[in-house]
Amino acid sequence: MLPEGYETVESTVRAVLADVLGLSAERVAAFTPTTPLFGALPELDSMAVAGVLTEIEDRLGILIDDDEVDGDMLETFGALTEFAANKALV
Amino acid sequence: MAPRIDHYDWDGGREALLRFGPDTGPLIVAALPLFEEANRTRTFAVGLLRALAVRGMASVLPDIPGQGDSTASLAGLTIPHMASALQAATSRNLNDGRRTYALGIRSGTLLDHGSSHSGRWQFAPQTGASVLRDLHRTWRAAGHCGDCAAMMSGDTDPVEIAGNLLSIGMLSSLSAAIPFDPVDVPLRVLRLTTDPLPADRKIDASPLWRRAEPGNDPVLIKLLADDIAGWIATCEA
Repeated sequence: MLPEGYETVESTVRAVLADVLGLSAERVAAFTPTTPLFGALPELDSMAVAGVLTEIEDRLGILIDDDEVDGDMLETFGALTEFAANKALV
Repeated sequence: MAPRIDHYDWDGGREALLRFGPDTGPLIVAALPLFEEANRTRTFAVGLLRALAVRGMASVLPDIPGQGDSTASLAGLTIPHMASALQAATSRNLNDGRRTYALGIRSGTLLDHGSSHSGRWQFAPQTGASVLRDLHRTWRAAGHCGDCAAMMSGDTDPVEIAGNLLSIGMLSSLSAAIPFDPVDVPLRVLRLTTDPLPADRKIDASPLWRRAEPGNDPVLIKLLADDIAGWIATCEA
């Protein structure tokens, strides 16, 4: 079962990807937990990753240590959402 | 009316500026964010100043040294250098007897220190520490290792971050920089609804400054132009 507030985190991550990468609302609305991100979305290059992480931090009021950032957390929409939820929902 | 190209002189040389609106009355002095965000917000800012001109408001958008069409090397600059240039761009108008208002976007608010503005209007203002954190994250994304101190005390000076050559002096001056808020001078702060920091008004819009490809937002431009024009009219009353 997903923790309370998970949907809020998920919608925040979805909105950040739309805003930072310039993706349409329809496109990000179709993202599922298994939708691949880093390496699959040409808009999500290493520079954009910095913007995505900072926006997630600001909007969820969390801090992401750069040592925690790796390929796994950015592999899919579900992985990124779960990473953010683990930070925000404690 | 189309913007006119003008210039201003500062201690480091001559830079261009764009003028919008009437040649009399209060004047808005706009400052774009630093570094990459300047490129991402320039179209938006020009649209905003054009919209203000339609509302009868005069403004200037100076090229800060190291930004826009400036030929000054960013590697030789610090925040105080850039702030002194912005002050020089403002002084000429103050000397002409015009009342001035600062319009700062994001880290552009960090450059507005020296001028006797009649008020300050800031959109999503950012501390230097926040800018430094963004720079460090970008530096890490380029494959470097280490914390912020390592970035600022590494083997190279200047440090290349996302194509910008930034001196250690620039990074150091950023660490202590905060948006200027002098006592007894009107200040109005607007932020996006997604920004948890306090503001006089929250706006539902996307952060254009995060976009890799420069974007624009005509709806936001109209909303902000109305807010600025209304606020300055109140200040002038």
